[in-house]
Amino acid sequence: MHYLRFFALACLLCASTFVFSKSNIDNTQGIVGFAGEHAGMAFSGEFTRWNAKISLPPEASPSIEAEFQLASARTGDAIYDETLPEGDWFDVKNHPVGKFTSSNIEAVDNGYLVEGTLRLRGKTLPVSFKLNENGERLQSRFAIDRLEYGIGLDSDPEADWVSREIQMTLDIPKP
Amino acid sequence: MFTDNRYPDKRYHSLSVLLHWLIAGGLLFMFASGLYMVNAEMPKADQYKLFQIHKASGVIMLWAIALRLLTRWLTHQPPLPSELSVKEQKLAKLGHLALYIGLCVMPLSGWLMVSASPFGLPTFVFVDWIKWPHIPFVERNKTIESLARNTHWIVASGLLLIIIGHIAAVIMHKKKQNIQLLKRMWWFKNDQN
Repeated sequence: MHYLRFFALACLLCASTFVFSKSNIDNTQGIVGFAGEHAGMAFSGEFTRWNAKISLPPEASPSIEAEFQLASARTGDAIYDETLPEGDWFDVKNHPVGKFTSSNIEAVDNGYLVEGTLRLRGKTLPVSFKLNENGERLQSRFAIDRLEYGIGLDSDPEADWVSREIQMTLDIPKP
Repeated sequence: MFTDNRYPDKRYHSLSVLLHWLIAGGLLFMFASGLYMVNAEMPKADQYKLFQIHKASGVIMLWAIALRLLTRWLTHQPPLPSELSVKEQKLAKLGHLALYIGLCVMPLSGWLMVSASPFGLPTFVFVDWIKWPHIPFVERNKTIESLARNTHWIVASGLLLIIIGHIAAVIMHKKKQNIQLLKRMWWFKNDQN
């Protein structure tokens, strides 16, 4: 009887280890940032609330799933911070959460090649980026096209004021 | 009430005098910055900042004008000089009414334009902790925005003309009837005339 119990416990432990082999990280451990230009002036900010589940090769099924609260975007400029959540920009009322889901992750020299989709304002579009190993950190910088997501499409469709290209930056701990 | 004025029949109340000249200076800035920010060639960053300054200043103008109206309502107005003909008195009253209407419509149409703008940018009054709200129910309404924009321009042009007439009248009455109208709007000693 004792052996059976021990066996069951061991099974449970194994299963939970298997299930939780993905590493959970959030905004206390890293930075999910964005940067661009407005009226020719550089601006940058970050999402202050996000979380992600990460497992990287050589894990059996590597994946990255990240969710970030769009209402948590902070740039340090009150006008930008007030405007970003509005309907024409992040539209946080209808789409409060941005989401990245990986489809393929490959180990390469000094890092990982990540392919997946980014969902913003209800649109899911493919993105790919390289996570660069830098000591105990993984860092990345890649561009997205805000107009493809319909961000600021009504206010500034010609990108007269806000740059069309927005640089996304990631700085997270190695799992 | 407000017994600052030893010559209530000769000049306006001190607060009216103060507000008159502050608003005059403010208008000068609003006209200059408004024309410049729309017409001049300049970097986008400067244009954007000038727009925000014009918006913030407009809020202060709105408050100054409201206070001016309140002061006018609560204090004694010196009567128009008896030397003016009946026709001149009528014209003066009409001119001042037009000035007040122009003064009120300017900040209100600007406020409406900003509230209905597709940019939806908030208005901060020079500091992050004073946020001037938008007028509700007109958000991103291009019809109302263009209506407010046209009103802002037309009334600005009209107001400029009336102000020129306002100043011209002061000079004209000085030359024609030797009336020192300026004394009504300053802290001159009013013992003689």
